[in-house]
Amino acid sequence: MEFPSKPLTQLLGSNGPVHALTYSSSPSTYILTGSSDRSIRLYNPSHPSSSSSSNPLAPPKPTQLIQTYTAHGYEILSLTVSADNATFASCGGDRSVFLWDVTTAQTLRRFGGNQGHTARINDVTFAGENNSLLISGSFDASVRIWDVKAGNMKPVMVLDEARDSVSCVLASESEEGVIWAGSTDGRVRAYDLRMGRVRTDVLGAPVTSLQRTRDGKGVLVGTLDSCVRLMDRGSGGCLRSYKAEGWRNEEFRVRSCFGGNERWVVCGNEEVKGDDGEVVVWDTLMGDVVERITVEGSKVEGKKKIGRDGKEKEKRNVISCVAWKENGRGDQWCCAGTDGIVTVFGPP
Amino acid sequence: MSGKRSRATYEADLQAQQSPFVTFGTPLPPLDPDVRDDGSYVPVWKQEVRDERGLKRLHGAFTGGFSAGYYNTVGSKEGWTPSTFVSSRTNRKKDGPKTAQQRPEDFMDEEDIADAEEGRRVETTQGFAGLGSTEDDAVRRGAFIDLFRVDGETVGVKLLRKMGWKEGQGIGPKVRRKARLDGVEDNAAEMHLFAPEDTSMISFVKKNDHKGLGFDGETKLSSLQGTGSDDVKSEDEEEDGRLSLAPKPTKKKKVKVGGIGIGILNDTGSDDEDPYEIGPRISYNRVIGGDKKKKKPISGAVNPLLKSKPIFISKKTAMAKAAAGFRKCHDGRLPLDGFILSSIDEFSSVLQSATNYAPPKIPEGWKSSKQPRAGTQQAAFLSTSDAAKASKLDPKSRASILGEAALPGKSVFDFLSPAARNKIAAASGKDNLPAALGEVPEGYSMTEEERQKEFLSQIPKVDKYTADAALSRGASGFMPYGEDEAKRNRYRAYLENQAGISPTLPEKPPRVSRIDWLKELKEFANCAQIFKPMSGMMATRFTSSSTAPKLASDAPDSSSLLSKPAPKPEDPAEQAAKLGMYGPMTRSTKDWYPTRLLCKRFNVKPPAHVQPGATEHDEEASIGPKNSAPDLVSKSALDDMMKESFDQQNRGRATPVEVEVEKPKEVAVVVVDKERNEALEGKRAGEAVFKAIFGDDSDDD
Repeated sequence: MEFPSKPLTQLLGSNGPVHALTYSSSPSTYILTGSSDRSIRLYNPSHPSSSSSSNPLAPPKPTQLIQTYTAHGYEILSLTVSADNATFASCGGDRSVFLWDVTTAQTLRRFGGNQGHTARINDVTFAGENNSLLISGSFDASVRIWDVKAGNMKPVMVLDEARDSVSCVLASESEEGVIWAGSTDGRVRAYDLRMGRVRTDVLGAPVTSLQRTRDGKGVLVGTLDSCVRLMDRGSGGCLRSYKAEGWRNEEFRVRSCFGGNERWVVCGNEEVKGDDGEVVVWDTLMGDVVERITVEGSKVEGKKKIGRDGKEKEKRNVISCVAWKENGRGDQWCCAGTDGIVTVFGPP
Repeated sequence: MSGKRSRATYEADLQAQQSPFVTFGTPLPPLDPDVRDDGSYVPVWKQEVRDERGLKRLHGAFTGGFSAGYYNTVGSKEGWTPSTFVSSRTNRKKDGPKTAQQRPEDFMDEEDIADAEEGRRVETTQGFAGLGSTEDDAVRRGAFIDLFRVDGETVGVKLLRKMGWKEGQGIGPKVRRKARLDGVEDNAAEMHLFAPEDTSMISFVKKNDHKGLGFDGETKLSSLQGTGSDDVKSEDEEEDGRLSLAPKPTKKKKVKVGGIGIGILNDTGSDDEDPYEIGPRISYNRVIGGDKKKKKPISGAVNPLLKSKPIFISKKTAMAKAAAGFRKCHDGRLPLDGFILSSIDEFSSVLQSATNYAPPKIPEGWKSSKQPRAGTQQAAFLSTSDAAKASKLDPKSRASILGEAALPGKSVFDFLSPAARNKIAAASGKDNLPAALGEVPEGYSMTEEERQKEFLSQIPKVDKYTADAALSRGASGFMPYGEDEAKRNRYRAYLENQAGISPTLPEKPPRVSRIDWLKELKEFANCAQIFKPMSGMMATRFTSSSTAPKLASDAPDSSSLLSKPAPKPEDPAEQAAKLGMYGPMTRSTKDWYPTRLLCKRFNVKPPAHVQPGATEHDEEASIGPKNSAPDLVSKSALDDMMKESFDQQNRGRATPVEVEVEKPKEVAVVVVDKERNEALEGKRAGEAVFKAIFGDDSDDD
């Protein structure tokens, strides 16, 4: 099976960098994007792109952009979709986790308030049996676990072992009962419910990305030392580390993921210049670079030429998030980055 | 006829037949059901009273009405209901049909209506704004006078009447004169005896304004007595009015000069009237229907025939009459022979006498017998204060002149130095301050040594520590007064002196006064306080734990004060991670207490220490502190921390040995499998296991 490197379509609409990207659950028909323009967009990548229509009298074709979810007051940093595709949760700068109804585009619950996070929430994920829990990791160095079913706004539990911002959280299959939390303090903490133990693995560099293998025995950890590691859950050892010449990850929260039935590890590259971004693909087992895929960026010149630091802005399209269809099993994947365009790739 | 007929049959008969009971004469016409004027009997309850206009009137007893009693409710069971009343419950008043508006006439009887008819005249309102009538003013003013006026005839009037006096006549013997007909004396007529003319009373009007005596004020449009409507009065009429001493508006009467080109307007009958004059002179018809004009009141006995006779009064005669001075005194008589009635009001003449009658002229060459003495006026007036200013004597000389003994005390200026005196002079702006003598009081005289000592004592002190710190700071780079090398040297010398390094003070530069030098030294002292290094000031307050024992044990040198805190001893786990030695080295495990609800939601059996089998107390202790966000360090948390630190210490001591021994071998990939013993499997190559873990599903299929 060849790596699906053909760009199928581009999903437009975001008015800023896309921070969160996810496929919907099981059939993975839809793509949800969370952008820094405070809205979440629901796309159907299989629809033709809207611009191609030449006949104005033709009936309106279904567009790629299906729904826009706007309730957030800050940028959106993470998204998670429930298994039944009826709800999804989002989080971001506004210190609460929003639980959305997909069809009505209304928030069902907002987890926050007095007992909630006191800083921006970096990551959120569904967990537990029937997605009855939401786990959120925040800049306030805590992980909060929310009960979706209960009516009260108190978190089920607060995990405050982290010494620094919690950048990513991960939950195992419900029977396994493990919660991972990666933190900027360079540690991944695995909370084992069965054993009642927490295992802390020191990575050394701030952790920005967590993905687990499907069998739950390995965890793919992205850190800010330009390295993605496949860690063994049992022993804490490093099974494989993924590095590449000309690939760098030192400042952005670049998310990596498995693809093609965990055959590949896919991650965006910081070491890019100009409009186009780059995604680097490693072979999971061998650890060598299989593909370097250039992601076409937008050619629109940004308005701001000078950055906040007073220096001239160097245009860079860093692919910060990648998502694989059907949780790594499908033949399609997409990526998005600082220019806000989601590019969908498929088999040639 | 059997019995009495019923009323109905009787009435039917009445209308049907022609008065069946009439035997002789012409019977009345048959009854009209609407009109009942045949005098036939109508029972009381069928009677209705209506007035001329067909209105049912239930009052007006004087015009033959009756009370609105039982019968006039006209049989209605509800009784009398006001016609205007409409129950607002269901149908609102505004919705319902409009009831006939009742007019005032409906409630008036004939007399009233007659009066009203009589009073119907179209008339402008009294204070018609367009004309600005002041008619009401007089009424208003007289309001109180009317209140207190004796009504009816007084006793005096009665007595006079009895003596043959008639109203309108004067009192006194009869006067023989010609008959005056309408103000014109007919020369041809014979003389008759007439009653003397009435003299009007002088009424003193109270002065209740604040205007000056004789001030007319703004002349009003109408006189006090004058009425707006009929103000065309003859002279006599005016005189008839009550004479008042109050200032009276003088009527301007323009003398018209006839000439070529007299316009139509000037050609009116009355010469006295100015056609352009508006205001009280204009007599509009303000009444329609009534009398056009009141007749001119006729004074004296007047022949009614003469009244209508047109009389021409030439302008000349009128003028002559006015000019001849036939003006009468206030009592109505002519002034005495040889006197001319003053044209000026008495009071005003008094006031204006100063201007009217100039003082007599002093004859030329007249000299007063009283000569002012020469000399006294010569010397210019000199006020006391000016004199005092002019004097050049100071208190001492004055005392000597006066022969006073000199005061024992001395002036402040005696002790002031010339510099200080100049300063005071500059500050006060006075040049004439006494000269400063610079005396030194007896008890305070000092030798040169003492003076030096005193001067030195004034040099500001900086404690040795600060001076040291400032010096060291200067040595390390920064020293103030970079722009002035000499000053910087002085500063350094000062600091060295204060630090006890050198005994000499900085040299006093030439041409600098002692005071300026002291000032500079003070500045240095302040400077040293400010520019001493931060550590000097802050280090006394904050001590880092690592340097604290150092400070206590040995003398702090400046470099140690500035040093950074010692780097934290690196976590061995991080060290290992840096080396890439992931595995047991980088892994630490400790107890964690998931809540029961969390386990339930994960569908996981809670771990043993969270099991419900544990005692209630244990459970609470284990869950409690972890359950919610920790805001206080509880005892258990403290214990945990203690335990952790203890563990860490132990491990830290133990692991380094391990690292050296074991790690090189451990670098090989460690594969974990639940079924196998990790320790035993450590060395095995992980290829097969990899396959098992990451193997492609599709391959398996």
